[in-house]
Amino acid sequence: MSLLSYIPFAIFAFFGALAVGSALLMIWQRNPMHSVLYLAFTVLAIAGVFFTLQADFVGAIQIVIYAGGVVVLYVFVIIIVNLGDLKAETRKWFPRLFLWSVPGLLVLELAALVFLHPLPPPSTAPADLGLPQLSVQLLSTYLIPFEVASLLLLAAMVGAILVARKKVTHDSH
Amino acid sequence: MIPIEAVLALGIVLFAIGLIGVLARKNLIVILMALELLLNGVNVVLVGFALRWGNTTGQVFALFVVMIAVAEAAVGFALMLSYFRHRETYSLDEINDLKG
Repeated sequence: MSLLSYIPFAIFAFFGALAVGSALLMIWQRNPMHSVLYLAFTVLAIAGVFFTLQADFVGAIQIVIYAGGVVVLYVFVIIIVNLGDLKAETRKWFPRLFLWSVPGLLVLELAALVFLHPLPPPSTAPADLGLPQLSVQLLSTYLIPFEVASLLLLAAMVGAILVARKKVTHDSH
Repeated sequence: MIPIEAVLALGIVLFAIGLIGVLARKNLIVILMALELLLNGVNVVLVGFALRWGNTTGQVFALFVVMIAVAEAAVGFALMLSYFRHRETYSLDEINDLKG
């Protein structure tokens, strides 16, 4: 096996390490504005992971919707909420024990389930993961879920506007 | 060639970091951000499966997960802003009543 064949895995490992490191920093930061910047970094690194996994369209969607839409929404909300003084987040040792051991044990269980059982063998046929294949499948096999998702997004938009608007009472003017 | 075990490990680690963030932090905004991290970990696993079995179904599922994440972020922020107008707080310690 030549050295060149390790290059995709090296790029994958680079972006994966970036994603994990910035994710850890994200939940570590006290200031939410710093957290949101690390979230943007994590999302872009995961987009790089998607590109190395030959998922070009999902990576582009990740950059456009997550980095361009959701992260900007987070920044706006932090500006609106105007956090002011940051309170220290402290807990007693007993709840802290649970809050760290539950995810840790879950990860151990997941890793045991995934790695102790053999996966089905990979397909031998040449992979066709291009955008034409993806779009045909999205708009034929998964057409009804696609339309339902558009309805869901519309409902979420209307609901968000209704919930977040200022209540106007009649005796205020 | 990228081994599927590495992709699964990355997805599980991202999911775990997000879960720790959801459980251990007390700031509502950071909790919503950690939820995005959970969904991204799932997406990494789905895209890795799509590559391993040469089938775009995993990528389609990842797109649906992104759609759900956007809807969740919009509604979550609306609820948070609405609550913040009532109570002027974002800390989970002070959000302890059900009636608005």
